[in-house]
Amino acid sequence: MFPSWPIRFHHHTPVGSSKSGGGGGGGEESTDSGSAANTLSTTVPESPVSTKPSSSDHHHLQPPQMDGAGGFSQSHQTAGRQTPEKTLRRLAQNREAARKSRLRKKAYVQQLESSRIRLTQLEQDLHRARSQGIFLGGGGVAGGSISSGGAIFDMEYARWLDEDLRHMSELRTAVQAHLTDGDLRVIVDAYISHYDEIFRLKGVAAKSDVFHLITGMWATPAERCFLWMGGFRPSDLIKMLISQLDPLTEQQIMGIYGLQQTSQQAEDALSQGLEQLQQSLIDTIANGSINDSMHHMAVALGKLANLEGFVRQADNLRQQTLHQLRRILTVRQAARCFLVIGEYYGRLRALSSLWASRPREALQMADDNSCQTTTDLHMVQSSQNQFSNF
Amino acid sequence: MQFQPETHSYYSASSVVIHGGGGVAAADPFERVVRLASGSAVVVFSVSTCCMCHAVKRLFCGMGVSPTVYELDQDPRGKEIERVLSQLLGGGSAVPVVFIGGKLVGAMDRVMASHISGNLVPLLKEAGALWL
Repeated sequence: MFPSWPIRFHHHTPVGSSKSGGGGGGGEESTDSGSAANTLSTTVPESPVSTKPSSSDHHHLQPPQMDGAGGFSQSHQTAGRQTPEKTLRRLAQNREAARKSRLRKKAYVQQLESSRIRLTQLEQDLHRARSQGIFLGGGGVAGGSISSGGAIFDMEYARWLDEDLRHMSELRTAVQAHLTDGDLRVIVDAYISHYDEIFRLKGVAAKSDVFHLITGMWATPAERCFLWMGGFRPSDLIKMLISQLDPLTEQQIMGIYGLQQTSQQAEDALSQGLEQLQQSLIDTIANGSINDSMHHMAVALGKLANLEGFVRQADNLRQQTLHQLRRILTVRQAARCFLVIGEYYGRLRALSSLWASRPREALQMADDNSCQTTTDLHMVQSSQNQFSNF
Repeated sequence: MQFQPETHSYYSASSVVIHGGGGVAAADPFERVVRLASGSAVVVFSVSTCCMCHAVKRLFCGMGVSPTVYELDQDPRGKEIERVLSQLLGGGSAVPVVFIGGKLVGAMDRVMASHISGNLVPLLKEAGALWL
């Protein structure tokens, strides 16, 4: 009934009168009123209905408004008058609040503009650095706890995600359009190259900030939950796919199960190698005496450097798994398979957003919760395409 | 899985080979590598403290394969071998390096790629390191 934020922004000087007489119900509230003070201010604690009716003086300052949904009725003049001082003070407060609100809005807009400029500059720097093959150190990255290498990777990853959506819709259209195998192959191979690209980018990022990758700070929380060595676990992906893939020939089934087994073995080997590295690090850090602590730190640093190798091998494993999938499946099967993969991770990312925006008040009714979730789901589904093909 | 310094080999298949034909000490490091690599079905050049080497050893163990492992940090001339291996790989870390049936497979990334693509097991069977 009484919107706290304006529906229209008025340019009038914020001299205004209250809208309805004391007897009026809320329904007479008109947002077309000339009371700019009420529309601009968010901090005025009184609701318009409770404000005292204006004195007749103010009618001189205000052009007469349409009576429409009820505004300036004649009852104003008959309403009880407050002392002029109180009225004046209230109006002054309204003016002040409106002024502050305008200043805040202006500051916000300026902040947006400068952020936009900074973003453009960052992107330019990134392009320059990439073309020169240098990796930027330091320099203007907001959000102090992230390294420049990590920030640059996050930007590239965001771009990769946009690309992914584009590839996905291309795949979807291609599958539904019943293209020839030759045409479909081009699209499928392009998707593989798209994945090759992210592994290449991760390799570059591993050199500059392996912790950023291995702790999954580049990924959404739900993905982070399932993170293995800085990315997805290939054997988990295969397990998920087994139930989703088309009817397969017996040879293909053997191939897929074989791939599950080999990726599992490779993962176990890498995990054990990493465990040994961690144990070795623990020993180094724990056993430094005061006298040679610097030496121990240097040794520890040397061991930490091996982390990069493990993340690289894990990404290598992920890349090889995807390539092997491509080899086992026909072009059409591969297209559908990659659609499944893309949608799966899209859903996982969406789950993170939903989780972050879930209603937290314990007092809310269960109905409200489910309504909220349903609304969010609809919002998500409008940006994701149906999974119903499968 | 055996860990062996180069001078005495307990690996049954090749217990004679290393000592055979004197003048071992004068061998050029490259020839040593070739000789060692051909001496067993699966040969891993490693450094005892290297964690990636540990990973490759675990990979073979997990498959039921017993590779012959040469810990280069425990070999008096290990450094030379490391240099040769590094050259063979075209730069980068010298260890771990895997030979199967006397032929170079490569470093960890090649071994894993080979395993995922299904080529590693046939190689191992061919070299007699794996039986059905």
